[in-house]
Amino acid sequence: MSLRSKGAAVAAMVLLASATPGRVARGQAIGPGFELERSGRYADAASVYFTTVRSDPTNIPALLGLERTLFVLNRMPELLPLVQNARARQPESHALRSLELRVYAALNEPDSLEAIARRWAASVPQSEAPYREWGLALADRRMWDEARRAFLTGRQTLGGDGTLAIELAELEQRVGNWEASATEWARAVTRWPDALANAASQLADAPAPMHDRVGRALIAPGASPRARRLGAEVLLTWGQPTAAWAALEPTLVAADSDSPGALRRFADLAGALTTPEGHRVRGLALARWADMMAGSPGAGRARAEAVRELLDGGDKIAARRVLEAHSDSNGVAQAALIQLLIADSQLDLAEERLAAPSTAITADDRAALRLTLARAQIARGDLNRATAALADDSSVVAIAQRGWIELYRGNLKNAMEAFRVAGPYGTDRAAATDRTAMMALLQRIQDETSPELGAALLTLARGDSVQAIAALRRAAAKLPEQGGRLEVQLLAGQVAAQKGGDQEATAIALFDEIVRIGGEGAAPPAAELDWARLLVRNGRAAEAVPHLEHLILTYPNSAFVPEARRVLERAKGAIPRS
Amino acid sequence: MKRRAFLKTVSAYSFASIIPSFHHSVIPSLLVPMDDSQTDHLKAYGLTYKAIQAGLKAEWLLNYRGGSFLIPDLDALRRDAALNGIRTEPVDSAMTAVRGEIEANNMDTVPLEKAPKVAVYAPPNAAPWDDAVTMALQYAGIPFTKIWDAEVMNGSLKDFDWLHLHHEDFTGQYSKFFLIYSGMSWLAEMVARNSDMARRLGFQNVPELKKAVARSIRGYVENGGFLFAMCTATETIDLALAAHNVDIAATFADGTPLDPDADAKLDWSQAFAFTGAHIETNPLVASFSDIDGHQVNGGARRQPLGAYTLFNFSAKIDPVPTMLVQDHRQVIPDFYGLTTSFTRNRLKPGVTILAEEEGAPWVKYVHGDLGKGTWTFLGGHDPEDPQHQIGDPPTDLSLHPHSPGYRLILNNVLFPAAKKRELKT
Repeated sequence: MSLRSKGAAVAAMVLLASATPGRVARGQAIGPGFELERSGRYADAASVYFTTVRSDPTNIPALLGLERTLFVLNRMPELLPLVQNARARQPESHALRSLELRVYAALNEPDSLEAIARRWAASVPQSEAPYREWGLALADRRMWDEARRAFLTGRQTLGGDGTLAIELAELEQRVGNWEASATEWARAVTRWPDALANAASQLADAPAPMHDRVGRALIAPGASPRARRLGAEVLLTWGQPTAAWAALEPTLVAADSDSPGALRRFADLAGALTTPEGHRVRGLALARWADMMAGSPGAGRARAEAVRELLDGGDKIAARRVLEAHSDSNGVAQAALIQLLIADSQLDLAEERLAAPSTAITADDRAALRLTLARAQIARGDLNRATAALADDSSVVAIAQRGWIELYRGNLKNAMEAFRVAGPYGTDRAAATDRTAMMALLQRIQDETSPELGAALLTLARGDSVQAIAALRRAAAKLPEQGGRLEVQLLAGQVAAQKGGDQEATAIALFDEIVRIGGEGAAPPAAELDWARLLVRNGRAAEAVPHLEHLILTYPNSAFVPEARRVLERAKGAIPRS
Repeated sequence: MKRRAFLKTVSAYSFASIIPSFHHSVIPSLLVPMDDSQTDHLKAYGLTYKAIQAGLKAEWLLNYRGGSFLIPDLDALRRDAALNGIRTEPVDSAMTAVRGEIEANNMDTVPLEKAPKVAVYAPPNAAPWDDAVTMALQYAGIPFTKIWDAEVMNGSLKDFDWLHLHHEDFTGQYSKFFLIYSGMSWLAEMVARNSDMARRLGFQNVPELKKAVARSIRGYVENGGFLFAMCTATETIDLALAAHNVDIAATFADGTPLDPDADAKLDWSQAFAFTGAHIETNPLVASFSDIDGHQVNGGARRQPLGAYTLFNFSAKIDPVPTMLVQDHRQVIPDFYGLTTSFTRNRLKPGVTILAEEEGAPWVKYVHGDLGKGTWTFLGGHDPEDPQHQIGDPPTDLSLHPHSPGYRLILNNVLFPAAKKRELKT
């Protein structure tokens, strides 16, 4: 007996046992049987079930108990006369008919099984049940061809393309005929839309080499819209969002009442994808849904979400198209459009829209946009317009941002002051950490200004790492050895190490110099730790070990020692990689 | 104890008169405290192991500051301690006071002389992080050799002082995951590897192979080996030993149904720790018998986790169990395994209980002797991953350097290093 049959039998047992008060009493009588069965004492459990059936020949829970236990004990022939007797007493009982078929299947008597099934079918000529149970009983015995013939006999007798399609789809899947399974699922969802979720879940498990064939079976020309939607969902779960959208889009006709639901489901499924392509098709689906549901309460929110997804997916044109069509009265859309313009480097236009009086954009959104615009101006190198973009914003975030602008201008003292006012906790954690690290560097420098350092840091902020490394090295050369030079060199080394490739040699040269000079401050142990990390990253763990040991033994009170020990453990292979 | 067996009987000699200790030597000492001042308890065991591996003498100060160690004050050891973040304290002048305190209290000193050779029984493809002992040994820096069925059957066990077993299913039923995890690639590989090994070694099926392996391990202990087992290896090795003449494996494992009268035919005289247990016959329940008190996969029988308490033994009279329970915590949170605990009424008379959950019908940590050797069983899979599930990420012990549960494992590793000693009756 398969797990599935067992599960079904147990479920049936529970349902039947609780159906009527009389049944409850019988269920209690066979309760010890369940306990014995659960503790593995199958022979004793069977005895209890036999006793129950002798006094109540149609007691289905007891008969199902015998089905389970006698199968384990290899005594199934003893069950047949009891089931035949029960079925004769209650010929209309679906459960007993099914049980009889399963017993014949367990006894490996397919001819008798077919005769019994056909007799049952003759008594209920419009019902799929006899063919379904006939096929399932054979499938549970892994008699695949015979099971397929049973289902197809039912389809031929009853007519209808989708008859027993779910059973055939599951059968083909168990056999490994994924393409045939997909064809049957296409038939099933065409007939029963509710089967779509189950179909998609089942077909999602198809092995990768079968994906093309399964996909073609679902979205081939002439496939029903529901089959194509099934195909779209399956392609999505396989991580093919563009192909999925191509399969779905032609099915979205306005008159089809299923379309909004299909779109929403598609958008939800696409939400599990983290690729730009996944974000893009989710955005397309949400925008389309919002258009279809225009006027509904969720449409505006869906459109805003669509824009965000389209931006995450890199499709600025589609995002802007959505926004421009709907931004007049909607503050969220206006804010999103300005953000889009900034992302698209159209800073003048963004500045203009942000300056225009509008009550739709909230104060918080406006402040956030100003900050984003200021960062974009910094990235362009225009510090004056960055300052102007912040206007009179007195929030912690804006103060911190002004600190960075001062730093890029080379006004180290002003920058330090702004960072101090902003404090270590305002803004998000990463930004606060960056600020704190920069304060640690600045406090080693005695000079109040350093245009060279400011320019180097601005170059770094603008994303030109290679130029920034060279500029930082030049700026460091102008500082005293124990007055900030090592710290600025360390920053240059860290940037070079992060850049990788040819810059790794530069990083190692910088770390080497810092470690050789040594002295007070955090730079020497930090450089040695970064040096070791770089070596580990490049598969040179053995070379990293002496550096880490030197760090731990030379700077036992350094804050880098615990991390150095962890890297040392990893370099030695003493702790597993997560 | 293998080749240097501990004697359970206690002699009339005073300890101080027979223990050669290096406190009289000119070499100054380093105390490795094992109380809350220690900065990495687990690595401290590795430091001590390295000292004795190098031929130096060390001492285990039982019950003194959490079971501290005394090692020679040498530059190499200081350097090792510094690199590994292990706290050490020079104790030259203070040592007299320390020994006085030990003498006056429930404490004792045990010389540690020879680094034991450690074997871990695990299949060749076992992930290093799927076994708490392997992780503890790697983290502490204690060397070990992995062995499996072929090495056990060809007599290689005699080359080792200490053998560890973890979640091997010695009933040969693949931890009864066969039906539950059917279709999983790791299970298919496990089945293929075990079946291949059984064929190679001339056994009809995997359960028969595992019974033979269990008997070899029993012989190893009888001849003086130290056995430490955790998780399901504890329960299943005893079941395999007791079932030497009866089929207790489900059909999926050996092609034949288990003997319906298996319970009655089990020969518990062959087992290490347990007696009178009932076999779990349902192939769909990943549980082996009623030895395990928690039945983690037993559905309604599953018991919640509590905390277990280590026994406080007399260090001067019972140094062996005292060594095994050295810890800086006496009450430790429990953790699940396929076998989590041991039902009290399934323990053989004479088994020493090292830790128990007070008021519960199960114990956690037991110890006993067999022939010239000893065995120790600790229930559960990973002391720092109480709900361990298949596929969980490995435990990073650098995040748990003070783990009291892992300390119990490492106590067992150092225990065979202790010098033979005559004990009072």
